[in-house]
Amino acid sequence: MASFILRRLIALIPVMCIVLVIVFSLVRFIPGDPAVTLLGPGATQAQIDALRAQLDLDQSFPLQFFNYVGGLLQGDFGVSLKTGQPVAHEILIRLPATIELSVLAVIVAIIIGIPIGVLSATRPNSIFDHITRVVSLVGVSMPAFLLALILQLVFATYLGWLPVSGRMSSFIVAEPVTGFAILDGLITGNWAAASSALQHLILPTAVLAAFLAATLGRFVRNTMLEVMGEDFIRTAKAKGLGRADVILNHGLRNSLLPAITVVGLKFAEMLGGAILTETIFAWPGIGRYMFEAIKNRDYPVIQGTTLVFALLFVFTSIIVDVLYGVLDPRVRKRMK
Amino acid sequence: MSVMSEFFSFLRKNTLALAGGIILLLLVLLIVFGPVITPYSPTKLDVLHKLTAPSWSHWLGTDAFGRDVLTRIMHGGRATLSIGVGVVAIAFVVGVSLGMLAGFAGGWTDTVIMRIVDAILAFPALVLAIALAAAFGPSLENAMLAVAITLAPQFARVARSQALSISVKPYVEAAISLGLPTPRILFRYVFVNGLGPLLVQSTLALGSAILQTASLGFLGLGAQPPMAEWGADVSANLQFVRAAAWVALAPGMAILLAVLSFNLIGDSLADWFNPRRRSELN
Repeated sequence: MASFILRRLIALIPVMCIVLVIVFSLVRFIPGDPAVTLLGPGATQAQIDALRAQLDLDQSFPLQFFNYVGGLLQGDFGVSLKTGQPVAHEILIRLPATIELSVLAVIVAIIIGIPIGVLSATRPNSIFDHITRVVSLVGVSMPAFLLALILQLVFATYLGWLPVSGRMSSFIVAEPVTGFAILDGLITGNWAAASSALQHLILPTAVLAAFLAATLGRFVRNTMLEVMGEDFIRTAKAKGLGRADVILNHGLRNSLLPAITVVGLKFAEMLGGAILTETIFAWPGIGRYMFEAIKNRDYPVIQGTTLVFALLFVFTSIIVDVLYGVLDPRVRKRMK
Repeated sequence: MSVMSEFFSFLRKNTLALAGGIILLLLVLLIVFGPVITPYSPTKLDVLHKLTAPSWSHWLGTDAFGRDVLTRIMHGGRATLSIGVGVVAIAFVVGVSLGMLAGFAGGWTDTVIMRIVDAILAFPALVLAIALAAAFGPSLENAMLAVAITLAPQFARVARSQALSISVKPYVEAAISLGLPTPRILFRYVFVNGLGPLLVQSTLALGSAILQTASLGFLGLGAQPPMAEWGADVSANLQFVRAAAWVALAPGMAILLAVLSFNLIGDSLADWFNPRRRSELN
């Protein structure tokens, strides 16, 4: 297993090099002289020169790239043009909020998506199957900002059950320990903070989970339908196993393997959706940080957040590969 | 039975495909003929009638500048749907050319092209589109280019796998042994015979293209005011949503319907090209 992970990591090196070139080139895509464009028409030559030096633009192109990669390897993601703070530090502060939201959304999506897919597949062409297929299709076609808007209007504005936005009520003083609001509330025994954090999480989690739950439901249904037509299912039925046993132990188990890949791949799309969701719900994660950087044309932050999103995705794909190996004996055999 | 008549008989039995086709047809009719019929301008301000509720004179109400929401949707639809088609066309041409070349040529060409494809796929699509659009500068053309760059690798992947399986077929080997030029072999034999899955990919990509471009518009990186575009219209009207929900919900629902119609059609096309699913449905 260790050699498999090592080989997987080595295979990633050329891909990560190209990823770095793309992220590095982002500032260089700015039309004209990036320093002049960023500072606007009123900037003095001294200001332009200073920014060119800060962004390394006064160096040759290869040197700029090596400086950039060298900095990254030492944890230096550059300095925010807006706040003057190190980008890596600002990302680290916001990362727990994004992870808290994304992980909860994945869990919710799995809890909803998989049973819906299984129930649909075991009753193909029933009313339940038709309804869930249409709802799932609507789910994958729904823009995240529209669903967020509808949920905010219904549950926050009209019913007043949940907060419209933010991560915690402004009346509550919470002591940060890990950066994960609910966990911090529980650790410090601040139940009001934990409860407020949970309430603020519900709507953004629902928005983020909807797309994944819908995709997962559709995928599990289709895979289950194919698996249920396989010879080993017929054999299991012929052996006299009960319906639940056939569905859960033979059908679902074999359908879940490909579903892990879907969860991994869609997790990346979900991270993209986090930019929209965090912006709409004023959620203080890296998605909203990236949006604010775009508004302020804060390119070091845009580069830093883009790279972090790519790293999170690549990291997820490695976990998916390893999980696949752990769960599927055939893959495990090939690994050896 | 000919392929076309078999296809139409399949469509008739497939309610979801039919529903997708009907939604798309209605949307196309609305955006083609609507702007000609409507008495309102999508950009002319009418401050005396701002944020009026839906009524006979304004079926979907008016926005904060007194502009008719339905008229903005009709004009915005022209922008949104043509952007979707434009984005997919760029992604198709670039992605399929590279994918076919990689699959057919193999060796280093394949390795280099596919590593670049893998690197682009290592970014969440919307994140890369946002970063690129932010770097290129906020405009509709740049947003289209950014989304096309994120979609092209998906076409390259499908085209490569098609090229790999088709390039070992006897008729391609015959064409090679006859000494036909590579571009001709790629187009006449490999591309034409691998078109099915690429068509499915295109239909599904249309939905993604519309969603992503609308998201960029929503974040202020796509169409710029006063141009009507669905995503940008949702964003521009967010602050009035408590007083007049329809101003943001209506263009949002239009995006949902457009994407849904393409997903319904794409799903059914995928079933059609999958022999097992096709026989089950027939």
